[in-house]
Amino acid sequence: MAETFHLQIVTPDKPVFDGTAEKLIVRTITGDVCILARHIDYAAALGIGEARVTDGEGNTRIAACNGGLLSVCDNQVRVMATTFEWADEIDTERARLSLDASQEALNKADRSDANYAALEAKLKRALVRVQISE
Amino acid sequence: MAATSMKDIKLRIKSIESTMQITKAMQLVATSKLRRAKERMEQSRPYAQIAREAVVTASLNCADPSIPYLVQQKDRKDCYIIIAGERGLAGGYNNNLFKAQLAHAQDREYCVLPIGRKAIEKYHRLGVQVLDDSYAAVESLNVSSCYKIAKQLLQQFKEGNFGNLYLVYTSFKSMMSQEAEIMQLLPVLTDASTGKERPVSTIYDPDAAEVLEKIMPDYLAGTLYSATCNSFLSEVASRRSAMDSATKNAGEMINDLRLKFNRARQGAITQEITEIVAGAEQ
Repeated sequence: MAETFHLQIVTPDKPVFDGTAEKLIVRTITGDVCILARHIDYAAALGIGEARVTDGEGNTRIAACNGGLLSVCDNQVRVMATTFEWADEIDTERARLSLDASQEALNKADRSDANYAALEAKLKRALVRVQISE
Repeated sequence: MAATSMKDIKLRIKSIESTMQITKAMQLVATSKLRRAKERMEQSRPYAQIAREAVVTASLNCADPSIPYLVQQKDRKDCYIIIAGERGLAGGYNNNLFKAQLAHAQDREYCVLPIGRKAIEKYHRLGVQVLDDSYAAVESLNVSSCYKIAKQLLQQFKEGNFGNLYLVYTSFKSMMSQEAEIMQLLPVLTDASTGKERPVSTIYDPDAAEVLEKIMPDYLAGTLYSATCNSFLSEVASRRSAMDSATKNAGEMINDLRLKFNRARQGAITQEITEIVAGAEQ
C-alpha cells in the first residue's frame, strides 16, 4: 500500500474533507500539481480547475475546485478553497444553465468592461463544473 | 376604594401576561435558532483558522517587506468592520460591542463598515463616515457577500483610504457569556506575538508575495464570514438568556400581583361582612 498523508480540505462555509489520502492533484495558477506523501513544504495559490483526491483506501474522487491556497507543511496537506464541490454533488442541469447564462453575459459584455475578467472567470468556473459533473 | 384597586391590579396582571407571552415566544425562537447558528459557527471556524495561518506564514516568507499588506501606515485613518445585531432585545449585546469599539478608537479618525441594522443606525447617528450601509441582515449574510465586502475593502485599502483594518465582533464563549472582541486584519500582524517562526524551507509557487496577493480576499472573506457566524450565535444566545430572565421576572411580578389581588379581594369581603353584621345589630 502506498504511503499516505493527512489531507484537510476546507471552504469558508464548511470543512469538506479531513482524513488520510494517497494522492492529490489540483490546479494551481501556474498549472496542475500532484502531491504525494512526504512532499517538500510547498504553497501555491489555486486556480480554477479539476481536483482529484485519492483517499487512504485508494478510492479516487473528482471535484471542481476554485481559488484559494494549497499548502504542504510537514506531510500535512491543506487545501483552502473558495469553493470545492465533489462531482457527484453538482447538479448537472443547473450547472449547464449557469454555463449558458455566463456565456451570454460574456457575449454581451464589452471587452473594455471592468467586469470582463470577472465574467470570464465565471464562465471558466461554470465550464469546469459542467465538465466534471458529466 | 377596594374595588378600583382590584380592577387596577387585574389590568396590570393582564398586561404583564401579554408581555410575558411575547418574551416567552422570543425565547423559544432564539432557542430553536441556536442549534443551527452553533453548527454554522463550528463549520466556518476551520477555514478562518487555516486562512489566518496561511496569511501569516506567507507574510513571513515574503522577500519584500514593503508590500502594502505588511506596512504600518500611522498617518492614515482606521477602518472598523462592525458586526452587530439586526434587532434589539438581546441584553447588552449591541451596546457592549459599540462600547468596545469606541474605547478602542479613542480619538483617532476612523470610518466604519457596519453589518447589521443596529450598527448601521448607530454609526449614522454618531456621524461617522460609513463606507457602505447595505448590509443590514446578519443571519442571511452568505459567503459571497463576504467576498464582496472583502474585495471592496481591499480596493479601498490599496487606494490608501485607510491604514488599519479592524474587525469588531462578539465572540461566543459559552451560553452564558459572550464577549466583544477586536481583531486587527490589516496590516497583517507577523510579529513575535503570533508565536510563529519563519519556516524557511517552504517553496512558494510562483513566490510568496504573489500567493499572498491571491489569498488576501480569501483570508478577509473567510475571517469575516466566521466572525459573522460567531456574532450571530452570540446574539441568539444573548437574546435567549435576556428573554429567559424577562420571562422569569414577569412570572414573579404576576405572582406578586395575584397575592395583592387576593388580599384586596379578601379585604373587601371582610369589610362587607362587617358592614352587614353591624347593620343587623342595630
